[in-house]
Amino acid sequence: MYKIPAQNYPIIQEWVAHGSRVLDLGCGDGSLLKTLAGTRQVEGIGVEISHEMILKCISKGLCVYQADIDKDLSEWDDGSFDYVVLNATLQVITRPYRVIEEMLRVGRFAIISISNFGYARNRLRVLAQGRVSSSARLSGGWHDTPVLRYVSLREFMSSIREIGVEIMDARYFFPLDIVSDTRWPLYNLLAKEGIFRLRRA
Amino acid sequence: MNHTPTLVETEVLSLERPFRFESGDILPRIDIAYETYGRLNEQGDNAVLVEHALSGDAHAAFYHEGDRKPGWWDCMIGPGKAFDTDRYFVICSNVIGGCRGTSGPASIDPATGRPYGLTFPPLSVRDMVEVQRILLRHLGVDRLKCIAGGSMGGMQALQFFCDYPFQFESFICIASSMKHSAQQIAFNEVGRRAIMADPRWNNGNYYDGVPPEGGLSVARMIGHITYLSEKMMQEKFGRLKKDKESRAIFRPSFEVEHYLDYQGVSFVKRFDANSYLYITNAIDNFDLKTSLSSRDRFRGEGRQRGAHLDDMRGKRGLVISFSSDWLYPPSQSKEIVQLFSAFNVRVSYTEIATEHGHDAFLTDYARPSEIIQGFLSSLA
Repeated sequence: MYKIPAQNYPIIQEWVAHGSRVLDLGCGDGSLLKTLAGTRQVEGIGVEISHEMILKCISKGLCVYQADIDKDLSEWDDGSFDYVVLNATLQVITRPYRVIEEMLRVGRFAIISISNFGYARNRLRVLAQGRVSSSARLSGGWHDTPVLRYVSLREFMSSIREIGVEIMDARYFFPLDIVSDTRWPLYNLLAKEGIFRLRRA
Repeated sequence: MNHTPTLVETEVLSLERPFRFESGDILPRIDIAYETYGRLNEQGDNAVLVEHALSGDAHAAFYHEGDRKPGWWDCMIGPGKAFDTDRYFVICSNVIGGCRGTSGPASIDPATGRPYGLTFPPLSVRDMVEVQRILLRHLGVDRLKCIAGGSMGGMQALQFFCDYPFQFESFICIASSMKHSAQQIAFNEVGRRAIMADPRWNNGNYYDGVPPEGGLSVARMIGHITYLSEKMMQEKFGRLKKDKESRAIFRPSFEVEHYLDYQGVSFVKRFDANSYLYITNAIDNFDLKTSLSSRDRFRGEGRQRGAHLDDMRGKRGLVISFSSDWLYPPSQSKEIVQLFSAFNVRVSYTEIATEHGHDAFLTDYARPSEIIQGFLSSLA
């Protein structure tokens, strides 16, 4: 199982309003929802595909729904949620555009984090060793990594604008635990990850 | 392994006053058969009500004296099990209309001194619920940690939870439905027709003679086909023959024929054909959503229509389905999740991967047990 980057939690908490309704796609063990329930009093629902994770969520008293987010978002009505979160899960999805569109149908805002394939270390690996780095794959080799999508921050940002999605906020994670809300020069080379708050343009 | 099995007995509460059905019909008295396991704690907040399915009864767990088989949900109820009897006070009763101790068509009508047969009133899932309310009052239980059931038991759990949400902290609904599909009704109707086509059925008057065993066993055989997945049947029986030498024509020879024959024959020993008709009719007519908006005789005219539904807000629910269950498919469980989410119940949903079809709710206990234990422990 891939790790859920808890580094994003403070930012997500900052973005999510008190008492709002949150849908967390690929919620893992439910730690984000638990955090948001504690600090933001959100009404949260998680979606997970793994039985083990479902068990962890239910044991925490969370509300969780076993489903494949590639297929099953259609069951929620339009505007059922204030925020729909996709934390570190976009890269394992078969049809990302469809999921992003569904996120902004069932929720007013979407929060998506991605790891940057354009990050210098990843580029160096490809260039020097001719290998896709294991950090870009999260875990496993080429044949069994859950990661299906390799995308850079720049590619992601320009392509979602093309499908009519507006980036309201962004944070970029640089080495040495530096987090910035402005796009530094060479961000697509230097940032390891990014997280975005989105809405329909 | 416990070598001295825990023995239990079915108790009977005799209600010597009239019981009025949802149809308006009245029985002058009824019996309610039930069992309880574990102890009600001092705060009285550890009770769990378990609901049985079509062919079940009050004997959900442990052993009756002399029996080789335990109760129908023994894999889920007991010390350290999903419904941990060291922690919870578990109650299970036989449904009204049944034939396992609670009043049903085979019970004696005091007015005539003969079995009711088809003079027994038409039955609804709500009637089953109301009878259990009487039992709960008798047991001194007014607040329950959870109400749980599979298949028809899930329907009762949902109906009970919706009609009296203030009594429950949570519900667990397994392999069930808010209403039967055309296919589910169709299978039940074939079962009913098999019974009624048996000349021994005699319009429900067979209690003096031989019951319609042929018809009832065919109904049960059809049921068992729907409880298994095609894949499981193939793996379990394939085209194996039991008696390759036998030359008798049209006698059961395939393993699957023997299996169904065995299920049918053992069922008629413990089940009443008229009960089968009444209960399948009740679950075919069950429609949870409609029942919530229609006039509800049981809770009086004064009660504002639908107002009690607000009491569900913030309660917890758990819906479980099985991937290969084609009788009560996962899609029906998802509809339940949608409905209760709309009532602001905090519902979780899980689909257990299994090849065992609908029967999984009685046999696949490992994963559901983990989930149910986690769920019950997380309740306040």
